[in-house]
Amino acid sequence: MTSASSLISVLFANPAVILFVGAALAALFPDSRAGLRRPLMLVFIFFSGSQLYRLGLGEYGALSLFGESLVTLRVDRLARIFATVFHIAAALNIVYAWNERDRAQTFASLAYPAAALGGVLAGDLITLFIWWEIAAITSVFLVWAPGTRATFLSGMRYLAIQILSGVLLLAGIALIWRETGSLAFSEIGLRDPSGAVKLSGLVLLLAFGIKAAFPLLHNWVQDAYPKSTISGTIVLSIFTTKLAVYSLARAFPGTEELIYIGVVMTFFPIFFALIENDLRKVLCYSINNQVGFMVCAIGLGAINGAAGYAFGNIIFEGLLFMALSAVMYRTGTSKATELGGIYKTMPLTMIMCVVGALSISAFPGTLGFVTKGLIIDGAAEQHLFFVWLALLFASAGVLEHAGIKIPYFTFFAHDSGKRPKEAPWHMQAAMAVSAILCIGVGFYPDPLYALMPDPAAMADYHPYSLYHIAEQAQLLLWAVLAFALLVVFKLYPAEVPSTNLDTDWLYRVPGRAILRWAAGVTGVLWDYCWKLYTDRVDVFRSRIYAVHGPEGRLARSWPIGSMALWTAVVLGAVLAIAFFG
Amino acid sequence: MMSAHGPDHHGGDDKGWADSKAFRRGFLAVLILVALIAAALGFIPAFQKEHPHFDVEKIPVFFALYGFVMFALIVLIGQHLRKIVGRDERYYDERE
Repeated sequence: MTSASSLISVLFANPAVILFVGAALAALFPDSRAGLRRPLMLVFIFFSGSQLYRLGLGEYGALSLFGESLVTLRVDRLARIFATVFHIAAALNIVYAWNERDRAQTFASLAYPAAALGGVLAGDLITLFIWWEIAAITSVFLVWAPGTRATFLSGMRYLAIQILSGVLLLAGIALIWRETGSLAFSEIGLRDPSGAVKLSGLVLLLAFGIKAAFPLLHNWVQDAYPKSTISGTIVLSIFTTKLAVYSLARAFPGTEELIYIGVVMTFFPIFFALIENDLRKVLCYSINNQVGFMVCAIGLGAINGAAGYAFGNIIFEGLLFMALSAVMYRTGTSKATELGGIYKTMPLTMIMCVVGALSISAFPGTLGFVTKGLIIDGAAEQHLFFVWLALLFASAGVLEHAGIKIPYFTFFAHDSGKRPKEAPWHMQAAMAVSAILCIGVGFYPDPLYALMPDPAAMADYHPYSLYHIAEQAQLLLWAVLAFALLVVFKLYPAEVPSTNLDTDWLYRVPGRAILRWAAGVTGVLWDYCWKLYTDRVDVFRSRIYAVHGPEGRLARSWPIGSMALWTAVVLGAVLAIAFFG
Repeated sequence: MMSAHGPDHHGGDDKGWADSKAFRRGFLAVLILVALIAAALGFIPAFQKEHPHFDVEKIPVFFALYGFVMFALIVLIGQHLRKIVGRDERYYDERE
């Protein structure tokens, strides 16, 4: 038995609980004091972060539940690097939307990161499940925040998919418990020692795969994220998919299938991003592509690469989202056809966007360069030639949609005639810190490398070896040259306003039609069954009436007749009691 | 000059630095120059991998060629995807 006081001490030692309490307390402030919410949240992020490092590596928060021991708080090297970057991202997002006054959105923008942090720090599967669901529920408030019909529908679709992932996770946990008798969140693997696929592993992989947006399961990202508010999209873009990456790295390191799932993930978003006009959606495809690199790294067993790239991606993809959102904040649009020429009046935002773009493209001197190389080298070291080629191809694709398309169509390209003011100070501050991290860690990656899950493996890795620089410079500069020549010779396709169908079409159009048809058929069947039933009851009543009614045979001697009827009723009741009693 | 405009629209013909022909030409020239330098580095032994994992890595300009060709292919082939999945902007508005 766990006493109440020890339960409370276990809970409040958990950085995720500290963040969640901070979010809840801030939400209690009345709207007239809304300006105090975000400063208070920053204080709680500081408390939570210092608690994470004060605890140090180890397992804490042991609880016992129905005889099962739970480890609600585990800080090991893999968890710590994710927890650290989650704190940085949460703080940057709070600052970015400093003047946001909406209560639900403000609450969600810290409660949701808190839940993702809780999942990362969970040492057992039950704790993971609880935070997994809290993350789903708190994040949907960000999708709903704009309050329109389109965002409501999208939020419902999002919630249904997130809850499906949670249900699968619970099923996976039950299967694992039956198989092993353990609830520990550790390496699970897809196959048993004989090489056969384990059902428990498969179900769990699917649960994580939905949140990581595996191919064909990816489209909730593009459907829900761009419909959120200016700052809500940025918060959303970070946590759910990275919690899934962490979970995959924890449970399925070196699972070969993940190499190929990851490769497909890096591939197909490139083409959807190329033709997409809404630049926020382009960045959502970029999330799929970037998570693909991480999933591939996990499959290769390059956990340093996966964790390091997740750290980097959260910073530079966040920076791209922030820069684009700042432009959207000032102009009201994120469509390539309606933007362009913005560099004239938002030069600082443009510079920070370019830093993010260089970083995601992995130019030497950036955070992307010092982390992505770990993954591509991982494929080379295992002599997987086609995987290696595919990752290089995907790198050219990243350069196309995230490195060039985002800054080019937002700030340059054709002049939209829009002359918005520069971004407000708080957006600039969050972007500046991100940009400094991109370049600072890019030039001096040692602190990040020291934080890696397996620091010993980093000893042999030298990102700035001469051949690394030459290879990457060739790949990227010649790709940029290809872009420049395509533009000069007018071969680069113009952006056109359009909706591009993706897998969400299946459930939004034919799925909807089938559901409607099924609802109609169910209605007709129900009416039919109901009529059958009422007809029978009518017939039954009229029979009794015929026998026992004023005209019936038993009515000739009513008192005897009713006694006969009641005897029959009592006999029936006695028989029923004797049988069931 | 720019703050004289409202937060939106106006202008259009006030050219910024990036719109000038000189900048565009200069940018292209510098890009070609650094791209050539990067390709040239591939021929210098100090910039070559001691133990390449694959044979193609022994080609001094492999990464330059691969980057150039793949980027061009992505753009030239990828744009045709629009013909398959492209719909009117209001596609879902009309259906939900």
